[in-house]
Amino acid sequence: MEYTREIYWNIGQSLGVLLPMYLLAIAAVAFLTYQFSRRIKVYRQGQPLDRCDQWPTRLKQAIRGTLLQSRVLYQRLPGTAHALFFWGFLLLFIGTLLIFIQADLTDPLFDVRFLTGPFYLWFSLILDLAGLVAIVMLAGLLIRRTLIRPPGLDNIKDDWIIHGLLLAILISGFIIEGARMAVTELGTPLALWSPVGLLVANSLAGFEEATLRSLHQVTWWGHLLLAILFIAIIPLTKLRHLFTTSTNYFFADLGPKGMLAAIDLENEETESYGAATITDLTWKDIFDADACTSCKRCQDRCPAWATDKPLSPMKLVKQVGEIAFQQPQANLPETLERDVIWSCTTCLACQESCPAAIEHVGKIVDVRRHLVLMEGEFPGDEVTAAMEQTEVNGNPFGLAFAGRGDWAQGLALVDANTENTDILYFVGCYASFDKRNQAVAKAFVTLCAAAGIKVAILGKTEKCCGEPMRKMGNEYLYQTLARENIENIAATSAQQIVTTCPHCYNTLNKDYREFGLTLPVQHYTDFLADLIKGGQLQLQPQETRCTYHDSCYLGRHNDRYQAPRSLLTAAGAQLSEMDKHGRESFCCGAGGGRILADETIGSRISEVRAEMAAATGTGTLVSSCPFCLTMFEDGIKGADLSDQLTPLDLAELLVKRLPAA
Amino acid sequence: MMNILVCIKQVPDMESRFKVNAAGNWYEDTDLAWRMNEYDEYAVEQAVQLKEQVGAAELTVLCIGPERVKETMKKALAMGADKGMHILDPDSHQRDPMTIAAVIADYVRQHNFDLIFTGMQSQDRGSAQVGVLVAEMLGIPSLTTLVEFSYADGTISAKRELEGGSRALVSCNTPALVTCQLGLNKPRYPTLPNIMKAKKKELLTAPLADFSPPELQQQTVAVFLPEKRGGGLILEGDPAELAEQLLKIIKDKTTVLA
Repeated sequence: MEYTREIYWNIGQSLGVLLPMYLLAIAAVAFLTYQFSRRIKVYRQGQPLDRCDQWPTRLKQAIRGTLLQSRVLYQRLPGTAHALFFWGFLLLFIGTLLIFIQADLTDPLFDVRFLTGPFYLWFSLILDLAGLVAIVMLAGLLIRRTLIRPPGLDNIKDDWIIHGLLLAILISGFIIEGARMAVTELGTPLALWSPVGLLVANSLAGFEEATLRSLHQVTWWGHLLLAILFIAIIPLTKLRHLFTTSTNYFFADLGPKGMLAAIDLENEETESYGAATITDLTWKDIFDADACTSCKRCQDRCPAWATDKPLSPMKLVKQVGEIAFQQPQANLPETLERDVIWSCTTCLACQESCPAAIEHVGKIVDVRRHLVLMEGEFPGDEVTAAMEQTEVNGNPFGLAFAGRGDWAQGLALVDANTENTDILYFVGCYASFDKRNQAVAKAFVTLCAAAGIKVAILGKTEKCCGEPMRKMGNEYLYQTLARENIENIAATSAQQIVTTCPHCYNTLNKDYREFGLTLPVQHYTDFLADLIKGGQLQLQPQETRCTYHDSCYLGRHNDRYQAPRSLLTAAGAQLSEMDKHGRESFCCGAGGGRILADETIGSRISEVRAEMAAATGTGTLVSSCPFCLTMFEDGIKGADLSDQLTPLDLAELLVKRLPAA
Repeated sequence: MMNILVCIKQVPDMESRFKVNAAGNWYEDTDLAWRMNEYDEYAVEQAVQLKEQVGAAELTVLCIGPERVKETMKKALAMGADKGMHILDPDSHQRDPMTIAAVIADYVRQHNFDLIFTGMQSQDRGSAQVGVLVAEMLGIPSLTTLVEFSYADGTISAKRELEGGSRALVSCNTPALVTCQLGLNKPRYPTLPNIMKAKKKELLTAPLADFSPPELQQQTVAVFLPEKRGGGLILEGDPAELAEQLLKIIKDKTTVLA
């Protein structure tokens, strides 16, 4: 026998069927288009931003993100359920498309039927199983929403509508199949190629054929209407993410990762800086809100939210959307609230985990820029003071700029202005002025000396890299500092820069490129790992236990996870990872310029992190960032863990492994 | 139109590395970070607030010193002053308060200011005399060490800080001069548009000689760093014992309990 089935079985391909079906479909698509065109007008309130450059890369990104669900799968369990559901539903969509092509195009026009033979058997089996997988996954996700109810996963009307509608579409599909099979396929080998359909057919086998035919017809029309409804409500509900999230993969930031857009300070036409109203943000910022599915992955990972501060990256993004759609005149700092805006540590956990490629941090910094540059406002007087001190002395402590190089007295450094040097060590404010971190700087220089590396520093001509100022919104001060540093670096003979601070590293290696810094920049963990690999630096491993904290600006901002761990291994350290490590690392609380600010709301981020480290039972918390080290020194005391945990910079651990001279 | 003047001084940041200069009569200029005298920042802020209050007003910022003081003047302009008057004097650090005051008074006589703001004192020389001397030379009232200021219809009402934490309420009519103390206000952080505008504001420079500086009456003979005193004393032991020790020290070495 020929393996196939009669399309439009029991329905007929008459005008009475085709006309209403196609009219409804056209109406649904027209409605969807109209609704999206209205939304596009709202997106266009934002500032222009080119997100169509490098389109082949973008297209690849969009296909990867959508078809492979690469970002969705970041979170294993619900991600897998969503991906399987998506693939199942996608196959069913493709199947329906094939049926449409044969039944209404190739067959009537050219007498070509391809849904036959072995292809039909596999077609039948695959769609049948796809439907099963989709139902099971959808049910699983519904159970998660209703019974498991993870904290923060708020259910809104949309969620009930979407789950109900999709389940109804899938179940009615199987009823249609079962009723048809009960009449036409039961007892034939063909039935085995639709196992789920067969199950339904068997359970319907007791009914009269007439009953089955009525059931089939009614369900068929119902299924059609549900499918039409599904299309129509896409733009009105969270279902819009089918279009917006996949498109957002195309529009996603291509990097450098986490880098902010510079403000053109030379343009004398500009009268307003930063974002005071929705029209100051870009169209992409508004579009992001439509791409958000409220999955709350960002909120789950936000260190501010986890410590009872009012910032939830998800809620902020949603609120930007509400403002754009409902109150476009609203003042952003007032409506989003200042405490929300100042709470961000720019740790990037939100963006790293976002399945929709939303950019949360830039929006926050844009509002900060308005507050700082247009209102002269900071989260506290201590921050204003730090800014003023940096203007005067080039460091937020307000210590004499002339004393910046004093920490290095007695160390064998070369003068980068007159001698050849292997590296220019950009020391940063903390390692220059903060006693605790001076020990790290000395350890690094000692390690370099042991490897025969000639090190120079800028000394009193080095200034703060400007990172905390920039993240706080003070673009003007950042750019002033950046230009001075670049000029002073250019005046040396240095060919390579190394930093011990990930914030300096990130700023010099990414942000300074815009102002013409071309020298290669490395964080010391990469630099030392290379020296060990090259045999220049030799360590005597010595067993010890520790845990390692990935700083946000080395980790998520720059994807450097391996070098510090390889150094720990080379030192003979037994590493016990915290639950939150690598890409999932939990901020120390100092990023985003928060190092300059008092943490007055909620619990202390550094204490929460110190507790996570203490829970490893290793007794030593290793990090490779002066901000982290400073925060942990305080956090460990604050959490009363001094007898259980010692914070250490990786360089300090390594220097103890140098063979005795 | 109300005509307001604010007098400021550029001083080294107090965290700087001070070295005595070769002549031994002032500090060395190198390796210093320069900024606006703290008390003058309160003066500028109050003057700008007053200008914002009355609307029809012009605020001039005046500064005496070498070329570099213009940087500090720009901050005052960015905070809201309308124009700047720089009296160029590379040797301003050698002038006594009387000379500085006479120069300012000479400038003021040419311009008829309704109200003059100055800091209570400078952070480097700390004489606290220039403001009052200017008022005296001009024959106008002066209110010093203000911690509160208000103005209405030609009358200033203010609160002065006195010794021992008490305050005095005072008032006078303009023209007048006031000197500003810590606590008067919180100086604003200049906004970027104002920083940009400040670059284009009028900033005139005239040599000191134009303002008929008088002969020096006072000379700085020598400056020196304070002698290093003995280090601190760390007491150890249990609290009761510590209290005993501390009490003994207080009795022996101070007059607190005398």
